[in-house]
Amino acid sequence: MLALLLVAGCLVAVALRVFAGHPRAATHYRHLARREVAFLNAAGDATFPRGGAIPASGSDADVAGYVDRWLAVSTPRIRALMHLLFFLVEHSTLVAPARGWGGWRRFSSLSPEQRIAVLDGWRQSRHFARRLVFTSLRAVLTMGYFSHPPVLRQLRLAPLAIETPVCEADLLYPPVGRPPEAIRFGAADLTPPGTAPPVDLDGPLHPDYAERAG
Amino acid sequence: MSALLRDGEVRVFAQYDRDFTEEADAVVVGSGPSGAVAAYELTRAGLRVVLVEEGPPFTPGDFELDGALSMARTMREGGLRTTRGTVMPTMQAICLGGGSLVNSAICVRAPEFVLDRWCEQYELRETTRADLEPHYDAVGEFLGIAPTPEAVLGRRNTLFRQGCDKLGYASEPIQRNVRGCRGSGECFTGCRSRAKQSMDISYVPAAVRGGARVLTSARVERLLGDPRRATGVAGRIVAPWSGRPGPRFRVNAPRVVLASGCMATPVLLHRSGNLANRSGQVGENLQFHPGVAVMGVFEERVDPAFGATQGFQSQEFLREGFKLETLWAPPAVLAVRMPGSGVALKERLARIPNSAVWDAIGSCNRSLGRVRPRRGSLDPQLLWHLHPDDVPILAQALYTLCEIFFAAGAHTLVPGVHGIADEIKSLDEAEVLRGGGLRANHLVLGGNHAFCSTRMHGDPARGVVDERGRSHDVRGLWIVDTGTFPQCPSVNPMWTAMALAHRAAPAIAEG
Repeated sequence: MLALLLVAGCLVAVALRVFAGHPRAATHYRHLARREVAFLNAAGDATFPRGGAIPASGSDADVAGYVDRWLAVSTPRIRALMHLLFFLVEHSTLVAPARGWGGWRRFSSLSPEQRIAVLDGWRQSRHFARRLVFTSLRAVLTMGYFSHPPVLRQLRLAPLAIETPVCEADLLYPPVGRPPEAIRFGAADLTPPGTAPPVDLDGPLHPDYAERAG
Repeated sequence: MSALLRDGEVRVFAQYDRDFTEEADAVVVGSGPSGAVAAYELTRAGLRVVLVEEGPPFTPGDFELDGALSMARTMREGGLRTTRGTVMPTMQAICLGGGSLVNSAICVRAPEFVLDRWCEQYELRETTRADLEPHYDAVGEFLGIAPTPEAVLGRRNTLFRQGCDKLGYASEPIQRNVRGCRGSGECFTGCRSRAKQSMDISYVPAAVRGGARVLTSARVERLLGDPRRATGVAGRIVAPWSGRPGPRFRVNAPRVVLASGCMATPVLLHRSGNLANRSGQVGENLQFHPGVAVMGVFEERVDPAFGATQGFQSQEFLREGFKLETLWAPPAVLAVRMPGSGVALKERLARIPNSAVWDAIGSCNRSLGRVRPRRGSLDPQLLWHLHPDDVPILAQALYTLCEIFFAAGAHTLVPGVHGIADEIKSLDEAEVLRGGGLRANHLVLGGNHAFCSTRMHGDPARGVVDERGRSHDVRGLWIVDTGTFPQCPSVNPMWTAMALAHRAAPAIAEG
């Protein structure tokens, strides 16, 4: 009986360690659990800490919000794989603890230095599978970081406002998901042939990426 | 089930409200480069054509400028498909126009020595460069294929030329199916300038003008007929992006033309009762052009966001097994390969305005794989191994890229190879790439272009189709996508695929 209680107690302790105690997220996420938001913020800030050559941090760039939007347009299979990826790295340090004091904790509970060391361990691992996991996570974080308009603006990589000519195809297809009645153009709108000049990187930015007043 | 479409009509998802059947002289499955050319040419030959595409048509307003979100919308499996064996990402588009909507419009004629090798090794009699020349010309004229103009090359491309010139390596502006490029570098997320002549704005509208009916958001699930005769296709309407199934459809036609791509066509044949597979070659021999890339940092400002996405190339080393190109992609995609983390990583990222990325694609004919249906899904299961003897080809390609970078004035290179330094500062340091210590899983590969899964062969016992794309086993069935290539072509395949489809069309029309 005592042994059973001990085993049950251990299981509860493990479950608490794995699933509980994550901070409440400030925003509501449709696809990410609270623990995943905590993990993405931790991993995002380890990869892209605040300050330095590009001021914004991973959490400033709202990497978690981006991933939530990404999951919303992904297939169930991809969603499942991403959740698995986050779970795997977040809890990897419960199996292979990070170096230093308190290393036997979830990734998101480690110190910033320990998080960087853990990620570097995955990146430089001699096991291809571990490097693959790192590359996948790094891709997710980088995609999120580079969706942040200030980051793109600083690097002169923000998409420009481009005037889109009207061609024959625009008379045939409505926007995705809409009926043909949603086609906005007629033959009179067709752009006459001509050559528009090359884009100018100093020109106006796409509205989604332009700096907003205030 | 009744007919739904008028001649010259394009159907979109919002319009399907019931099951239906269409009658046609020919049904073409897949609206990518080869399918669109076939549909147009068959329409021109006077046939009643139905073109079936699983993806939706995209308007410029539907283009996502963000890399991952764009891939989630335009690519199968959200752009996250990988091979097993040697793990490598590989993509297949799902949209009207297929890969042409989201590729960089590179058009290269297959080299003479490659086509001669195809003829010799695969018992082909009329697939020499001279045989294909008129078909390349016809497609080239239709699409306005021309070298990238100087005005939109940008520094990223001209630095490559500068490096090649210094070393005496031949290089040239890439020929592309583009009219009026503005150098926005957005080929991979959809051309907002409407300059790229992707199939959805070129061949498909032309086919529609000629009376072709186009079913979009229509997923073909099986071929109709029996093991000796194809008589049409059947499938379901699927919602864009979510894939939610809708009404059922079938198209009855005495000519079935498969152009659904090297990875989807074998799955379709397997699911149709292992059709056209007396040779046992359906889904076998899968080849890619595995790609590697190097990022170089210069003192001067490069502003890599400006310029044709891929505007310059060198074919100097085709016989050695690789082709070199300039490259641009959504910034996040390129930043993924930057080493390090934390402040050091950010410092590297801050150098992107002074950086350029160039890549190499390898002709790895020994590296083979296979395509099989994935259980419970219409997506393929891909197995592929990079052959150890092909690793040195890619290593040499990486070294050559380093050479050109240093010749062009780069001071730091990021090769993205496991097991060597994160950054290379001199050509001497790059020698490690040629030292023979690299293995397949040290390289960060990209699975560009896929081929050979339904290869052509003069001998019906060793190939799936003949050199006009006609099935050896099934009357009324043709395949015209890159799966029919007997080997990788060593250069970007789109123009060759279109030329082969152009050549196949009269034979298909004859029946």
